[in-house]
Formats: sequence, structure tokens, C-alpha cells
Amino acid sequence: MAIVAETSKFSKFAWPILAWGVALIFFFPIFWMVLTSFKTDADAVKPEFLLLFTPTLENYANMTDNYDYWRFATNSVITSVSATLLTLIVGVPCAYAMAFDPSRGTKDILMWMLSTKMLPAAAVLYPMIFLAKGLGIYDTHFLVIMVLCLINLPIVIWMLFTYFKDIPKDIIEAGKMDGLNTWGEVREILIPLAWGGIASTALLAFIFCWNEAYWTVRLTTIDAATLSKLIEGNRAPEGLFFGRLSAVSTAAVGPIVVLGWFCQKQLVQGLTFGAVK
Amino acid sequence: MANRTIPRLLQTPAVLLLLVWMLVPLGMTLFFSFIRYVLNNLRRPEWTTPSIENWRGFGNYKFVWNQDGFWFAIQNSLLIVCSILFLTVILGVLIAVLVNRSFPGRGIVRVLLISPFFVMPAVNAVLWINMILDPVLGLQGLAVGGINEVIAGLRNAPLVGGFFSLWPEFNPVSFRATQTSAYAVIMMVTWQWTPFAVLIFMTSLQSEDQQQKEAAILDGAGRWSQFRFLTLPHLARPIAIVVMIQAIFHLSLYAEIEIVSRGNGNKNLPYLIGELANNNIGAASATGIFAVILANIVAIFLLRMVGKTLME
Repeated sequence: MAIVAETSKFSKFAWPILAWGVALIFFFPIFWMVLTSFKTDADAVKPEFLLLFTPTLENYANMTDNYDYWRFATNSVITSVSATLLTLIVGVPCAYAMAFDPSRGTKDILMWMLSTKMLPAAAVLYPMIFLAKGLGIYDTHFLVIMVLCLINLPIVIWMLFTYFKDIPKDIIEAGKMDGLNTWGEVREILIPLAWGGIASTALLAFIFCWNEAYWTVRLTTIDAATLSKLIEGNRAPEGLFFGRLSAVSTAAVGPIVVLGWFCQKQLVQGLTFGAVK
Repeated sequence: MANRTIPRLLQTPAVLLLLVWMLVPLGMTLFFSFIRYVLNNLRRPEWTTPSIENWRGFGNYKFVWNQDGFWFAIQNSLLIVCSILFLTVILGVLIAVLVNRSFPGRGIVRVLLISPFFVMPAVNAVLWINMILDPVLGLQGLAVGGINEVIAGLRNAPLVGGFFSLWPEFNPVSFRATQTSAYAVIMMVTWQWTPFAVLIFMTSLQSEDQQQKEAAILDGAGRWSQFRFLTLPHLARPIAIVVMIQAIFHLSLYAEIEIVSRGNGNKNLPYLIGELANNNIGAASATGIFAVILANIVAIFLLRMVGKTLME
């Protein structure tokens, strides 16, 4: 027992310091990006201004002139919000039916849906471009929304399914007794009870849509181009524009990182399909 | 059994959408992979439109199979995925155990730790390759320059000067170069996904059986054997899930590779396909089918591992 007591005395100081150290190392690149965004382009690469410099907001003020930021940000908001809503509209009824009225095939359908996530996007890259150009929807919001919806649908259904599964079936049965039809059950019972689960699913789907960087880059040129495309297009500033690039990057990820802080728990449930609690 | 129509009806849109999404483009890829199909060819203009008359059989597959670039891409895909998996799981377990204790500011530490996961991949890559890893202007360049300056200063110092004059000047590493660009990608993705592993392992650790642990302590079990025989087995399932999810995501890594070196010396399968798709659609499609096969091999292996636990 003495040994245990001794280690805990030592660890009383060592553990927090170690933990804080690791956390700060992991956060450092983000901190560095935010810090650089307040430097002028010239100061950003000078060693003498590493930490001490005159902060400036000019990079943020010039974001529109330098990068046309708001145009890309608007596209990101339009596509991510619409895709999230569309995914929920398609996903909620499906997950509802699977959770409350499972048939013998339900498990197989769920596994099959998950397996569509394993189809490498690159394998169908050219057919997608071909179809999009053939249908005249290349570089449109519609196309990006549809693709974002489809790539997130399996995960959203899985997440909703794990939430709905935890709702006692008796409640739904009671609703049926009271004469509710299916739509009534969803509106009166399911949505109020699973509101938290649906909200966090939506949040996570939104984050995934916002950060998506394969299809949004390959299927757009300018009209529907999102922030991923904007950043990707400025990949190599050769040190000339570190300040302004940091500002636009901070603006692109800031809101999402903050949103992410609020849905850590749901993230675990959602991404592990409820297998880790 | 009276009413199966409504549940079926509710599932139909999702199932149909995913079915179309899976079958139509994949069917086209399969078709393109068996025909000669290029976007630009002045001598054989008939090859520029997809048609059954340009049937090539397994020609595209043979062509791809015999290319060094193809094998390098497979090797590189596996190198990147396996390295990231290895690093994130090890770091994830260590950090999760570290943060699982209660200590002052634990909430803030968790928030700081999880943040990298929400950074969009494009920003992650641009940030790392320019502002951190750039050999001249990034932090790496500044740090190496600073160390060299300190060493140069110490050379003239009394006593220790002789020792430091033996030291060579440090050279910064260029992570855009052929040999090193894969390491830059591994580094930045590990930075982004370690928080994910930490988060999942941490959640799982909270459900660890504390009584069992106390019993082990009373039996005189040390820290290491507690970790080895209680914590690690408890984490087996979350580790399997982290491996599966990350394998799905990292096999299709694209933005990071594009941004770091435009694929220079660092092509993985998705990147190779993207490049071929600029002109030789037949070969790109055949490579795509190979990528599907590879993903399926990985998927079968992984689903065996975790599939049962998912359904309880």
C-alpha cells in the first residue's frame, strides 16, 4: 500500500503537468494559425516577431479582396445546411422504421448501408463527372448537396438508429392505442423524445459536410466552390501570404471547431455506431 | 405482420438513393474499365467517346497491372494507412489513460485535445506544410535557424566552445520532396485523428470496472500489470472500432496528398486514379476497380473483427 500512496503523491503533480503539456502540443498548430492571422504578411515570416508583434486585423478586413471569402463561405453554408436537412428528411423515417418495426432484413440493410461508405470515392470519380456534365449540373449547389447527402446518409441513419433503439417501444405502442397514425407517432412521440439525438446527429452531419474535401474539390470550379476548394486552391503561398492565409483558414475552421466542442459526446456515439458508451 | 407497408415505405427513399449511388457510377466504372476510352487522342478520335465497339477486354487491367506507378501507389496507400493507424492507436491509448484521471483543468484539456479533429483537412494540410513544416519560412525553418545560431554563438564561448565547434550545422528537411512527403501526410493526419482515438478510448475507460481495479491493487498489482491485464483488454473493442473507421477514411485520403506535394513521390490509389482520369479513363476505371477490391479485402477483414459487436 505504501507504494501506491507514494506514486499518487508524485503523480499529483506530474500527471496534470504531463496532461496539460500534451494538450498544449496538440492545440499548438491551431494556436499558431490564429496567432499568425493577426500578423501582417511581412511579419509572419520574421523570427524576431515570433511571439511579440503588433497585432493587426487587416488580414480579416481584406479577406473579401484577397480571397473572395464570403462567396465561398456562402456556398459552404448553403450546401452544408441543405445537405444536412435533406439527409435528415431521408434518414429519420428510415431509422425510425428500422428501430421500431425491424424485419428480418433490417440488420443486413444496416450493414449494407455501412458498406457503401467503404466504396472508395475515387473509383467512381470519372462517372460522377461524366454524369454531372451530361446532366448539366456540374459545379451547381444541387450536385454538391446531393453528393454530400449521399456520403453522409449511412452514418446518419446508423446514428439515428442507435438513438431510436434506446426509446422504449411501449411508448410507441401506447401512442398507437391512442389512435395516432405513423406521422402522428413521429411528430408527437419520436421527435420530442429523440430531439437531442437528432440535433447532435444534425450537428455532426453538418461538420462532415463542411469539412468534406474530395467531392467538393473535384465536382466544382467556381459557382458552387466551397471553403475546402478555396483553401486547396491556395495551397502553396511560398511564404508570401502566411498572414492572410491564416486569417482565411481561421475563419473557415473557427465556427466548426467551436461547434465540435459541444458535440464531443455525441461524436463518440455516432462514430462508433453506439458500440462505445 | 398485418402492416409491413408503412415501414417499408419509410425505408424506401434511403435504400433507393444509396442503391442508385452505389450501382450507377460503379456500373459505369466497370464498363469504362473494359473499353478503350481516352479524353484526348487526335489519331484515334473514335476512342474519345465511350462505346462498346472499343472493347478492350482486360487490356486496361493488364496495362495498369504492369505499371510501376500502380504498385507504388498500393504500397504507399498501405504505408500511409498503417502508419497512421499504428501511431493514432498508441498515442490515443497513452493520452486517454493520461487524461482519464481527474486533475485541475481537465475539461479545458479535453477541449484543447479534441480540437484538431474538427479542422477541415484542406486547412490542416495548408497549415502544416506551410506554416509549420516549411524548411525556410515555417516554424521548422525558424527553429533550425535558431538552433544553428545558438550553436554558432557557443562556438566562441570559453570551455565549451571546442565541443560545439565539432557540431555540424543543422539542415531543415523539405517535406515537399519525393522521399519525405509521405511523412508529412502521416504527421498531419496523425495530428488530426489522434484526438478522435483519445475521445473514444476515454469514453470507454469511463466504463471500466473500478471494483476490479481496486481488487487488483489490493492483490498488489502494479501500475503496469493493471494497465496490461485490465485496461488494455477493456480497450480491445474500441481499438478495433477506431481501426475500422480510420481505415475507411484514410484509404481515400486525397486533399492532404494534393496539397503537400501534388502527389510528387507520394501518390496513393485515389490520387493515381485522379491523375489517370485527366485523360485515360479506361485505365483510371481499371485502377478504380482495383481500389474497390482492395477496400473490400480490408472491409471484410475489419467487419469480421467488429461486425458482430456492432449489432450486440
